[in-house]
Amino acid sequence: MTTRGWTNWAMLAIALALAAVYLFPLYWMYVTALKSGSEIFANPPTFWPQAPVTDAFPMVWETRTMATYLSNSVLIAAGVTAITVILGSGCAYVLARYRNVWIDVGLFVILMLQVLPASVMVTPLFVAFSQLGLLSYPRTAVILAAAAKAMPFFVVLVRATFMTVPRELEEAAMVDGASRAGAFFRIVLPLARNGILVCAILTFMSAFGEYIYSKSIIQTPGLQPASVGLSTFVGPNSRDWSGIMAYAAIYVTPILAIFVLLQRRIVSGLTSGALK
Amino acid sequence: MTRIFRSVRDGIGFDILLIGAALLFLVAFAGVPLIYNVLMSFQQVDMFNLGTFMRPLVGFANYAAVVAQPEFWMVARNTLLFVVGSIGGQFVLGFGLALFFARGFPGAATIRGLFLVSWVMPGLVVGAIWGWILAGDFGVLNYLLKSLGIIQSNIFWKSDPNFSIWAVIIANIWLGLAFNMLLLSVGLHGIPRELYEAARVDGANTWQRFWFITLPMMRSTIGAVLSLGLIATLQQFDLFPAITEGGPANSSMVSQYWAWQASFKLYDFAKGATISVMMLVLVLIASVIYVRSTRHEVRG
Amino acid sequence: MISRRLTLLGALAMVGVSTLTLPALAEPVKLTIWGLDGDNGLIPALAKEFDDKNDDVVVEFRAIAFDELVNEALKAFATNQAPDIICLDNPDFALFSSRGAMLDITDRVAKSDVIKTDLYYAGPLASAMWDGKLYGVPKATNTIALFYNKDLFAKAGIAEPPTTWDQLLEDARKLNDPANNVYGITWSARANEEGTFQFLPWIQMGGGSFKEVNTAGAIKALETWKTMLDEKLASQDVLSQGQWDSTGTFNAGNAAMAISGPWELGRMATDAKFDWGVALLPTETEGGARSSAMGDFNWGIFASTKHPDESFRAIEYFVSQSERLFPEFSNIPPRGDIPLPSTGDAKKDAALAVFQEQLKYAQPRGPHPEWQKISKAIYDAVQAAMTGQMSPKDALDQAQATIKGIVG
Repeated sequence: MTTRGWTNWAMLAIALALAAVYLFPLYWMYVTALKSGSEIFANPPTFWPQAPVTDAFPMVWETRTMATYLSNSVLIAAGVTAITVILGSGCAYVLARYRNVWIDVGLFVILMLQVLPASVMVTPLFVAFSQLGLLSYPRTAVILAAAAKAMPFFVVLVRATFMTVPRELEEAAMVDGASRAGAFFRIVLPLARNGILVCAILTFMSAFGEYIYSKSIIQTPGLQPASVGLSTFVGPNSRDWSGIMAYAAIYVTPILAIFVLLQRRIVSGLTSGALK
Repeated sequence: MTRIFRSVRDGIGFDILLIGAALLFLVAFAGVPLIYNVLMSFQQVDMFNLGTFMRPLVGFANYAAVVAQPEFWMVARNTLLFVVGSIGGQFVLGFGLALFFARGFPGAATIRGLFLVSWVMPGLVVGAIWGWILAGDFGVLNYLLKSLGIIQSNIFWKSDPNFSIWAVIIANIWLGLAFNMLLLSVGLHGIPRELYEAARVDGANTWQRFWFITLPMMRSTIGAVLSLGLIATLQQFDLFPAITEGGPANSSMVSQYWAWQASFKLYDFAKGATISVMMLVLVLIASVIYVRSTRHEVRG
Repeated sequence: MISRRLTLLGALAMVGVSTLTLPALAEPVKLTIWGLDGDNGLIPALAKEFDDKNDDVVVEFRAIAFDELVNEALKAFATNQAPDIICLDNPDFALFSSRGAMLDITDRVAKSDVIKTDLYYAGPLASAMWDGKLYGVPKATNTIALFYNKDLFAKAGIAEPPTTWDQLLEDARKLNDPANNVYGITWSARANEEGTFQFLPWIQMGGGSFKEVNTAGAIKALETWKTMLDEKLASQDVLSQGQWDSTGTFNAGNAAMAISGPWELGRMATDAKFDWGVALLPTETEGGARSSAMGDFNWGIFASTKHPDESFRAIEYFVSQSERLFPEFSNIPPRGDIPLPSTGDAKKDAALAVFQEQLKYAQPRGPHPEWQKISKAIYDAVQAAMTGQMSPKDALDQAQATIKGIVG
């Protein structure tokens, strides 16, 4: 085998070791779901449950109506992603197209609007929503609030993508008679598609776990996402840790699976240099 | 009328429409709460006037009260330490991993993708798991460090005032690492290969290539990563209630958790708002770093 | 008072008329109930039963996480979206009752055939009262006592569980066995309500109260706590671990004693691979004043409810089911007239008897509308002393100054 080959294998081994270390908390989540209540606190720690118990999984799925919770999570994440992509892409495009002091101000404002943690924003939003009557449409209200939270992040990343689209292509299209809108939709947007897609996936993934807005704004249990369902396991004196971890495993595994499937796409979106 | 329509379709109006829609949306759903908080920091708030904007004004009394708290300077110091420690760790490790995976060995892309799982784990779960990993007696971290002979006796990461803030920083580095690595990987991909080839021909070593090509070419990426990282760090919240509750004796209390505690544990909403407004200063810095970094962008 | 009676009568008359004349057409009344469901499912189960048994009422239950309950209630109350009924942790109750947010049910209870206040323990009942009026009904109650590992006690040659603080310290020294990963004792001195919940009984045994935290006995209590940490008789992590996780280490065999409550019994019965028992909290001196913490929740009706009668009926129904609290939901009834049936597990039954004895000495936290600020002063003092930032005396003196500013 060549030196290059050996280096590759060594690097792969190191990479696997690093990933194993990094993914340890994920492993711990699955293992804890299988442990009995007190084994979690055993010293020395047990890396594999002494007697794996799988009871928590069916129990949690049924008593917690997880199917409903998960479908609400998907709905909210999809809504947040849709709003963020539609409003954020246009905004990012404009911010990438020009280079002047107004653009600086725009970027500055967008970042500054991120200043407050969601836990602090939720009270004013709740009050405002209640006055506007939006609390009667709680999932919509959460989507709007969470999209505003996700937007600055999306804009900063997608703006970088638009920076990679050569200005000349857009100008050439306009010379050929396309309008600004036409050039944007037919030339620029398709070229930035990969970057937008990657950022949309990231937005979806973090919106899937949205908790702070949902737990306050959505009062009807049947409309709440899975993150809110998870928090009700925590009692004043007791925490059903195996239940929590089993719930979390059910909650996270599907999205992990989708993620692993989509990964090729994300990774190729990256390596093609579309997102820069 | 037609002029406006034409402008929207084919002129500066098009840009204004695109950016205006997003900004209006943001001002409504992020700006209003911000102003409400600033307003609240100058008012007297209780459970009966929580639902309105009109409340008795108290001037800077809330600010004076916050600064007069005995733990104020400790919280300020911890916040700074938390921000610098978290961002430093995330950035250095993230950059290291990004460079490592950029070597393009077989499987690199797939394994790199796995690092993103930290994004989807719920905050409650991440907090609980790190709480156990960092536990003094049954914690896995101490177990490993002892097995490797690095430490002789257990370190009480969560309960020793000298370590507690680092316990949360370690957990937060884990959370933010994936994001840093992803963005920095993307930045690395954007650097033209020819630059490295040319430098190699000129006899530059690895370190020089990194210092004179990689870093300058990544300036805008680094600006974005650092400023978004700072904002994310200032919003990091889940880890505190799960790992230390800001303790022991406030040794790991940071401003965002302090603000939350004032508002939602002690029901002193005005004080909570005041602390959150004081945090504005830090985000101001992040925004300036970011906006300045965009000056160095190269258009593709 | 008279006008209130009249309105009440009027309301009753209206209800009577409408149910008499239009039985089939009457729109069912919607009651919203907020509470925890992590409590063995008691609240949602009772809410559902009340819904099923009453055709004129539709109940909507919303489970809220423990940490969020008060916040959600405050926000909702401020925007006129409060539920009809809420089940609040007892120290948080005064925040609402003292401000007129809860419905005064003194007269209704006086007339009720179901709710008899004289049956209730004094502590839980006091937490639902404000200014001589009753604003709620205790849902259940609990307290803390000392769990001990009988096997480890036998191994260390200790016959009886400790009864004084000094004995507790002595026993912890004997039981401590670092070579086998066994600490003498564990409890929670966390920087939150749990820390106060655990330390306040010691203040009270030391002759103090939540209004007076720097008595000589309280200072001795904090010195005892600090000694246990300084001599490594307990894990340093008592400063950051909650009671549930702390007692988890006891169950795993890594601590010989643990201070916690009856909510541990179910898990301990299945997880603990050793013989264990429960003893009353040790007192300052032999035969000294006893005290303990008082936990659990109160039912209350928001003053803003449009359906006070149906809401009160719901609470009457919940109270009428008191005999099921323990067998079905492992909640201890807040009153002495309900015998706890045997669980079929001798260790559990013995433990419950001790907890019922300990309950007689349980005192509420507060009631005070600014309880959380008082509580913070207490757990801050505990943490400051145990980390060595301040001496126990200075820490408690500082807490006293803070508390004085709050209670006046």
